[in-house]
Amino acid sequence: MNKRILARGLLLHSDPMTPELEKIHALFLAEAEEQLATLEQGLLALERTSGPQSLSSLLCTLHTLKGGAGAVGLTETVELAHLLEDLLTRVEAQAIVLHAGLGSLLLQAVDVLREQVGLAPASEPAQRLPALEVRRLLESTLKAARPVPSRAAVPERSASSSEPTVLREHTLRVGLGRLDRMLDLTGEISIARGRLAEMLAQAHRYTPQQLLEAHRDGDRLYLDLQELVMKVRMVPIGRTFQPFVRTVRDLGLAMGKQVRCELSGEDVEVDTTIAELIRDPLTHLVRNAMDHGLETPEVRQARGKEPTGSLSLRAFHDAGTLVIQVVDDGAGLDRERITARARALGLLGPEETPDDGALLRLILAPGFSTAERITELSGRGVGMDVVKRNVESLRGTVSVDSTPGQGTTFSLRLPLTLSIIEGFNVAVGNETYVIPLQNVLECVELPAAESRPGRTGFFSLRGAALPYLRLREHFGLGGSTPARENLVVIGHERGLAGLAVDTLLGQGQTVIKPLGRFCQGLPGLSGSTLLGDGRVALILDVPALLQQVLQAAPPAALA
Amino acid sequence: MSEETSAATQYLSFILAGEEYALGILRVKEIIEYDTVTRVPGAPVWVRGVFNLRGSVVPVVDLTVKLGLPPIQLTRRSCIVVVEVKQGNEDIVLGLLADAIGQVIELGPEDVAPPPAFGTPVHVDYLLGMGRVGTARKFILLLDIDKVLSGQEVLSATALRAPPGEETERPTGKVA
Repeated sequence: MNKRILARGLLLHSDPMTPELEKIHALFLAEAEEQLATLEQGLLALERTSGPQSLSSLLCTLHTLKGGAGAVGLTETVELAHLLEDLLTRVEAQAIVLHAGLGSLLLQAVDVLREQVGLAPASEPAQRLPALEVRRLLESTLKAARPVPSRAAVPERSASSSEPTVLREHTLRVGLGRLDRMLDLTGEISIARGRLAEMLAQAHRYTPQQLLEAHRDGDRLYLDLQELVMKVRMVPIGRTFQPFVRTVRDLGLAMGKQVRCELSGEDVEVDTTIAELIRDPLTHLVRNAMDHGLETPEVRQARGKEPTGSLSLRAFHDAGTLVIQVVDDGAGLDRERITARARALGLLGPEETPDDGALLRLILAPGFSTAERITELSGRGVGMDVVKRNVESLRGTVSVDSTPGQGTTFSLRLPLTLSIIEGFNVAVGNETYVIPLQNVLECVELPAAESRPGRTGFFSLRGAALPYLRLREHFGLGGSTPARENLVVIGHERGLAGLAVDTLLGQGQTVIKPLGRFCQGLPGLSGSTLLGDGRVALILDVPALLQQVLQAAPPAALA
Repeated sequence: MSEETSAATQYLSFILAGEEYALGILRVKEIIEYDTVTRVPGAPVWVRGVFNLRGSVVPVVDLTVKLGLPPIQLTRRSCIVVVEVKQGNEDIVLGLLADAIGQVIELGPEDVAPPPAFGTPVHVDYLLGMGRVGTARKFILLLDIDKVLSGQEVLSATALRAPPGEETERPTGKVA
């Protein structure tokens, strides 16, 4: 049967340019990714629950993967999968004991499979064995277990056979029920549209109320559809969390630390873009906790804690936002070392003692490190500022909570969806700008007496000096400032600030549109949206805007 | 770019600063009236702004600025030629601001001459050639739009305006 699959594979492979083959390959990749993740999870679970158990589901997954790889002509993958299958059969028959070493080997075999089929490797390349080595080790383990019936020599294969040529499609599995409902709704919307068009064509026959009512009918259907489509984009965060079980296991083994990885809130749903983009920050935080937070078993025992530490990844909803936490029960932030380092770097005055919030700002600063030596983990040239930047690009915030000797909790607070935000519209001259509502605290009128000409100024807000930025000047829009200006008070890291605008237009849902290649990544702008009249309005990136002003402020002349 | 070099290709011509330029018609997606274009502060100077093309936000490139021609005067005949530009593997849709639309012309290989070494209003690197049209033997400049908006220049134009923090991509160090 295998031969048949292989033959089919070769047949397909002989004509590598057909779009059909590309489609099959893309489908295979999407499936393989899932199968490999299942395999990895299965192996990790197997390690945790030592004892006789059924491996049938693992073997089944492996077998399906093998079939798929055969169909797209990946002979190497078929062979490796076959080897793994043999080995796992032995484990099931208890001819081999699954110890940590074998566990690592099996997991590395999964990595090799991942590489062979053309999926990005999941773990650090430095910690991995080359494919041939893994294969050799697997073979020798298999031989050591029991005399194996001699297998035909491995046929020679071309080195390029497994070279991936197809880009992986980003796919999403959607419940058929949801899709059916969407189709229903689109059908109903088209009926409503038809009816409205007919009524409008003979508008004299109807009252404006009747026409409006017909429009509202369609509108309701449309809103249902919008909600449904948004829901389809949501995926459980568990898929993002899962790979970290492996990361924690591997790092624990490498560093001689005993760590239990706990996941909670895996079924909390997030936008698929968030699930994707949160991976990097989480990797940093997990590595950071493993490297600096958690202690070795000896140290833990000396401190009266149980030798096995715990690292939890949690997700939950809180007040309309998504919260993701990385919690460890390690040593906690070393305040003295951070303070000392900050003073050395000149980020902190000699007498200042920062609170937790200030401490966090320090460790998230670019280039900040208290690592005394560069380890494999902390010398990778990337700092915690990456966490901050990634989370902020998702319009989220980072906070930290740490008790000395008891552990550290990093909390990432993120919006539920990226495509729609609550926005606050303001106008300057003919232009409309949208400020994300989460940044807006209040709106006040700027009294003419307190208005200062120029790009920036300050204003007394209930006795406190509030600095403000005049958008008209900042964006160089020209025109003259009206007699009455309004201030939108926005909150940011360092406190409050104001944005001076002509008119306040009020809040509403804003659908975010990317600005396109030429206008992307401009400071102070995070995207654009379409207004009711079809014009494009720009969405302001408040933290970046204020950062820009701060950087532009000339340093005070020193006496 | 093969469509520009194959036999008898159709081109769409448009007017920029009094001169007639043309693009391979397969590049042109549509022509629309110049309507409200939203300015984008901080964008490259040759980006006039963005507009709403049936739900997509599309940038409008002011070719006169990009090519160093006298600046455009908006009139009733001003229009936006929506084109597709290839940059690497990506196809980017963008609008080109033109003074007016010319005509659709058909040019065989014998009608296209290489541009002279100098004397053209636009640098020769930006030209695919010169098309001879009609009995008057008038010349139409064939623009190499991919080159005009090459990725290199696009990158440098935006990099100049990126905040200073952006370049420090990979600071060393790690936190305790």
